[in-house]
Amino acid sequence: MARVYLEHVTKKFGNVVAVNDATLEIKDKEFLILVGPSGCGKSTTLRMVAGLEEVTEGNIYIGDTIVNDIPPKDRDIAMVFQNYALYPHMDVYNNMAFGLKLRRFPRAEIDKRVKEAAAILGIENLLKRKPKELSGGQRQRVALGRAIVREPKVFLMDEPLSNLDAKLRVQMRAELAKLHNRLQTTIIYVTHDQTEAMTMGDRIVVMKDGFIQQVGAPMEIYDHPDNVFVAGFIGSPAMNFLDAVILREDGDLWVDAKSFRVKLPPTRFETVGEYIDKEVIFGIRPEDIDDKDFVPNAPPDRIVTADIDVTEPMGSEVYLYATVGPHSFIARVDARTTARDGSSHQLVFNTDKAHLFDKKTQKAIR
Amino acid sequence: MRRKALTALSRDALAWIIGLVWIIPFLGVFMASIRPLGEIIHGWWRFESFTPTLRNFIGAWNHPAAPLSQGMVNSLKVAIPGTIVPLFVAAIAAYGFARFRFSMKTYLFLTIVMLMTVPQQMIAVPIFRIMKNLGLVDTPFGLVLVHSAWGIPWILFFMRNFFSTLPIEVEEAARVDGASDFRVFFQIVLPMCIPALVSSAVLQFMWVWNDFFLALILIYSPEKLLATQRIPLLRGMYHIDWGVLTAGTIIVMLAPILVFAFLQRYYVKGMVGWVSK
Repeated sequence: MARVYLEHVTKKFGNVVAVNDATLEIKDKEFLILVGPSGCGKSTTLRMVAGLEEVTEGNIYIGDTIVNDIPPKDRDIAMVFQNYALYPHMDVYNNMAFGLKLRRFPRAEIDKRVKEAAAILGIENLLKRKPKELSGGQRQRVALGRAIVREPKVFLMDEPLSNLDAKLRVQMRAELAKLHNRLQTTIIYVTHDQTEAMTMGDRIVVMKDGFIQQVGAPMEIYDHPDNVFVAGFIGSPAMNFLDAVILREDGDLWVDAKSFRVKLPPTRFETVGEYIDKEVIFGIRPEDIDDKDFVPNAPPDRIVTADIDVTEPMGSEVYLYATVGPHSFIARVDARTTARDGSSHQLVFNTDKAHLFDKKTQKAIR
Repeated sequence: MRRKALTALSRDALAWIIGLVWIIPFLGVFMASIRPLGEIIHGWWRFESFTPTLRNFIGAWNHPAAPLSQGMVNSLKVAIPGTIVPLFVAAIAAYGFARFRFSMKTYLFLTIVMLMTVPQQMIAVPIFRIMKNLGLVDTPFGLVLVHSAWGIPWILFFMRNFFSTLPIEVEEAARVDGASDFRVFFQIVLPMCIPALVSSAVLQFMWVWNDFFLALILIYSPEKLLATQRIPLLRGMYHIDWGVLTAGTIIVMLAPILVFAFLQRYYVKGMVGWVSK
């Protein structure tokens, strides 16, 4: 159990900068998620903490020690890999015991820890099997078990669920969260899947092109994304972005997207001052666009009539792929909607939850 | 449908013919070895009388001029270290080439691969002179050294390619688990590449065992001659004793065949490529 601190960490591969001046504190016992598209530097960051990649510039602390020059074996960390990386020639028991044997733990202690971990993960009956005799989900558990028995200061997980099928992934997601509650250890978890990021972590770090874009609790990032990238990356279906101009008319604030306009709440006055009559990026999440039929007393200045191109029934809700003039967007509406492909339908923009971004810097206007 | 069957049939027939042509010389050797000289003198394929006997084998094994028993021991003394030494050295070097970064790596590797093409005949004289200067001519150790030098490049090439197919995460996992570079190599990597090691070992063993050329250059004392060198000496003084000669051939062939038979399952895996995910 320890905090991990990255201090202006940069990693270069030749001329390519994989991680650019990252400063980040991972608190003791925290479940931190590094998320971003492939090539964003999240795995490299994790591998630097593990000691599998050297740090080009900056310092990494585990506890109070700078670990830049400490080899992985002496960092007291455990890592779970995407392809499990089990030792193919050892049975499950020895896969889990290997790290403890190297650290010269007494045999009885090794046995106790392996059996405890196996019990936690429900793999007691597999201890004599070789990895090739296990299913993907079982291998995943063994890989986790191998990390658990070590009782390390920090767990590092590099996309551990992405090789599992969708159903198992959902199940393991919950189990990992449960495991974290039980073990009370610092976990750094890398994923490209924003759902995993949202559901599992105490905090999320969104990365892109080697830069940390935003750090925060899942809902904080979801509700208040710092820039267009974060807003688009977190949330599924992704946030809609429309080019628009902010107008002030008769003491009201409007977002004018040319083919339609909706009124902004007066609270926005404080923040949009300098953007009046200027082009901005108007962002709104699909669930903040409703079917008018299900919004009693919808204010008329927020209603937009859109052409429905495609309806996608998801069971509990329906995704509407809608068009107004040159703008296309997705709305996530009540399953009882009467909107049909090719029809036109009235939608309500909940502009209380709208996001505005500077067109040039892509940063949120707050 | 009928055409398909016909194609299959002709393909099978062709395979059989090639197989038979291939095996006929061996069949001749075998027949000659298990029959008395009188029966095979007009051709081993004649079966007017057929008296199977092991006399030829015993004769070759205890031959007065060149006993194969001693030759087999001498051969083993060269072939076993001549397999283990290059395998060990080349496996470690190959791992270095596959996994570590160092300057001139590519050029060094290319040089090694290129030198594999040098024909043995070209280095016969230099090898003899080097060994003479080292005082290693007419010693099994000298021959082991030459065979090791000859084996290292190709084993290195083979093993390096095999190492690069192994998932590197397994090694990283071991490193994180607390293993040093040496431990990773000996406890994780080597067990994972047993098939490749065995394949290399089988090939190298056969190569060293079957070698005649290098042995001819470096070993000449009668009691030190290897098995392959003794076969020509089994011919006899005044007439060629085909029975003893062929029996000797079969005895000498036996060692690599046995090695292959025992290790075949690994050998096939190694050749196909064996990666456990």
